Amino acid sequence: MLGLVPSATLLGADGHAVTVEVHVTDGGLPSFSIVGLPDTSCREVRDRARAAIESSRLTWPVKRVTVNLAPPTVRKVGSGLDLAVAVALLVASGQLPAEAVAGKAFIGELGLDGRVRPVPGTVCLTEVLGDAALVLPVESTDEARLVGDRVLHPVRSLAEVVACARGEEPWPTAGSAGPLPEPPPLPDLADVRGQPMARYALEVAAAGGHHLLMLGPPGAGKTMLASRLPSLLPPLGPAEAIETTRIHSAGGFGLPPGGLVRVPPFRAPHHGASSVALVGGGTSLMRPGEISAATNGVLFLDELAEFSPHVLDALRQPLEEGVVRVARAAATVTFPARFLLVAAMNPCPCGHGGQPGGCRCTEGARLRYQRRLSGPLLDRFDLRVEVQRPRPDDLFGSEPGEASAVVAERVRQARELARARGVRSNAELPAGRLDDLAPLDDAATRLLLGALRSGRLSARGLHRVRRVVRTVADLAGHPGALGADHVALALSLRVDLAGATPHPESVAG
Amino acid sequence: MSEPARAQLAALAALAGLPALGPRRFLALVHHRSPLDAWALASAGDAAALARALGGDRDLDTLARSWRSAADGVDPLAVLAAHEAADVAVLAHPSVLAEPPSPPDGPRYPERLVDDPEPPAVLFARGGPVPAGPSVAIVGTRRCTGTGAGMARELGRELAAAGVHVISGLALGIDGAAHRGALDARSGHPDAASPIGVVGSGPDVAYPTRHRDLWEAVAAEGTLLSEAPLGARPAGWRFPCRNRLIAALADVVVVVESHAAGGSLHTVHEAIRRDVDVMAVPGSVRSPAAAGTNQLLAEGCPPVRDAGDVLVALGLVRGRRRRPVEHRPLPGPDAAAVLDALGWEPATFEHLAVRCGLGLAELAVALEELVAGGWVSQHGGWYEQRATA
Repeated sequence: MLGLVPSATLLGADGHAVTVEVHVTDGGLPSFSIVGLPDTSCREVRDRARAAIESSRLTWPVKRVTVNLAPPTVRKVGSGLDLAVAVALLVASGQLPAEAVAGKAFIGELGLDGRVRPVPGTVCLTEVLGDAALVLPVESTDEARLVGDRVLHPVRSLAEVVACARGEEPWPTAGSAGPLPEPPPLPDLADVRGQPMARYALEVAAAGGHHLLMLGPPGAGKTMLASRLPSLLPPLGPAEAIETTRIHSAGGFGLPPGGLVRVPPFRAPHHGASSVALVGGGTSLMRPGEISAATNGVLFLDELAEFSPHVLDALRQPLEEGVVRVARAAATVTFPARFLLVAAMNPCPCGHGGQPGGCRCTEGARLRYQRRLSGPLLDRFDLRVEVQRPRPDDLFGSEPGEASAVVAERVRQARELARARGVRSNAELPAGRLDDLAPLDDAATRLLLGALRSGRLSARGLHRVRRVVRTVADLAGHPGALGADHVALALSLRVDLAGATPHPESVAG
Repeated sequence: MSEPARAQLAALAALAGLPALGPRRFLALVHHRSPLDAWALASAGDAAALARALGGDRDLDTLARSWRSAADGVDPLAVLAAHEAADVAVLAHPSVLAEPPSPPDGPRYPERLVDDPEPPAVLFARGGPVPAGPSVAIVGTRRCTGTGAGMARELGRELAAAGVHVISGLALGIDGAAHRGALDARSGHPDAASPIGVVGSGPDVAYPTRHRDLWEAVAAEGTLLSEAPLGARPAGWRFPCRNRLIAALADVVVVVESHAAGGSLHTVHEAIRRDVDVMAVPGSVRSPAAAGTNQLLAEGCPPVRDAGDVLVALGLVRGRRRRPVEHRPLPGPDAAAVLDALGWEPATFEHLAVRCGLGLAELAVALEELVAGGWVSQHGGWYEQRATA
């Protein structure tokens, strides 16, 4: 007897349709074999399915059982095929009528007591199931509703599935989706006192999509500032929301109530992170990494110099291309990785090296510390600002800062100007069109030439600065030619790492 | 030079390359025996003989072993020849080697060091002879502020222009800035006094490497002195010895900036031992880089406000020199307000934005104007006022 049930498995952040075929025969000794490239976690289905079937007052056939997961070229990972295998086995052993499950796909993990549990990546799995009705764990209903409007049968246990298939109960159906619950409020920029330059750097980063590096001693509020960035970014559009939700679903990063990620994600991996955790991969599961989880949002790397240099260099290609390709022997998968990179670091090991004369480190220790960051990575940061603890006497008398909503409105307008130029944000302006889209007036040109001559700016840095100048002018409400004041402000948003260069007073000339 | 004298000088040069051979041990080693005998003793690796020679009762096994391995395969005459080929003079203390060097007008052992309480047994010199005129050591921290570096450069320039030889250690920060100043003066007036650099590594081993150009310039324009032979790496124990030479060669030691327990205070200590005057440049009481110098002032050091104060201490001029004419373009109203808000302590863009209440763009423009006009320097996001362009 044969049972055929459609299901799906996950590779990276992509679902692959799988047909579960179970063959049960009387010939030979009783046995259970599973073929079709299952990995170890997938093989465990035998023990779970057997316990679940027996717990549900059904019979495990004492016969020769063969499970085939087709197509056999795709590696099957994890426990998401459990329910499909159990149902196909019940059909093959004559305990369920084949026509009762025709046109239905099954996704879910089985507990030993027969309960059906959710599995990661439901969004991606649902996408590839054609127009079959989907039987799935109750907890996954919100996720499955995000893609298409197929018939959903949310179930709690294998016994419930069997009862429905035998016609003893009607199949449960998912009600229509209510309005998505309001996301909890994000940390607000109004909480930050003083620090006008750091606040402005956040605004420019959000408006232009420019990567930001904050330098400063411990306790200057770098983490607090960075966590305010998502509240300045525009909320995710429908396509972006699905893109980010798929990654979060597939990677098991957790989804908000309602299932859809609608606010820009904020990911802050610890500096002990391995390159697989950051970039994605793993042996067979091919899980997306933190940089993909930060897609359409913010990746915050605190203590940047404490990350392993090898891990940081793995960021360069995704930063350039917006996707990360993870190649392993088993397969190659591509994850989206388009994020705003915000990093924070101390200028030197003692943390006080920014202030002239303030450092307690030896020269060697400073150089070793700063060499941990490769030049190409540092070049990616269009904005580099020194963040200092505000002095108490500076704090008093300063006005409370603007709230996120006010800044976010300016950011939205600047992003609209960028969209009118054909890019998502000014950071993506093609170098060849800068003369056209970011023209400079005479005073601005003189200022940039001066910065080039004095060595403050490299030829490569010039393009990057011009994009920042464009954003600065857009935020100031000057969509036309760029003035000297915009250039001056953009240049002051780009400090050099002290110690990487000798002090101007002590060089020849 | 006679053959035997040459062999003795070669032995001295070879001895100077041994590890952990400080000036006191060096003198003890060559005090009662000839340099050749001392070399034989040091390279033999006999700990008991060494202990008798050095007069210590400590266990010298490790030292004897390290000297024997360092001396292994070293031919003193080849060492001397290498120095002659590289145009590095080997100068022996008169009490160690009586015979004067062959060319009577060539470089000779510095007069001031002959009667020093702890003179180097042998010196290696590049460039001209150590001049006899007035000399001032300008020392300070490597991690200085822009104000400190600017002050050191100004002092170096004006003292050299007034005919005072500037002595320093060619280190990063204050040391380097002082010599840059002295070289500035030389490029304008060839009769400005020549600089003297005293270093802790071999005269060919530029350390820090960032100052290689400065080493070459000082060797070309003045004198570069070291107790270490060619090729000697910068070892930690050599720097305090270098500091004592700086103090011994100077008429006055000026400390421009020093942290609370900075290495330049060691130079001060050596100067006091030798009755050399010590002066200090006052700094902000809030600047960590001026904590050491302000402490010196509190203990009674005369302050240095400009080169004139040093010249008075040297007895070269009476009264103060005039301030040079201001050539910098006068800052506009916004820029002047920013300059006032900046004062003489380092500040970030953000500090200034909060203090002067200008918009960020106006502040950025004002700072660009000030930097371009030479009123302000910017380094690593920190702005500092400059006394001179």
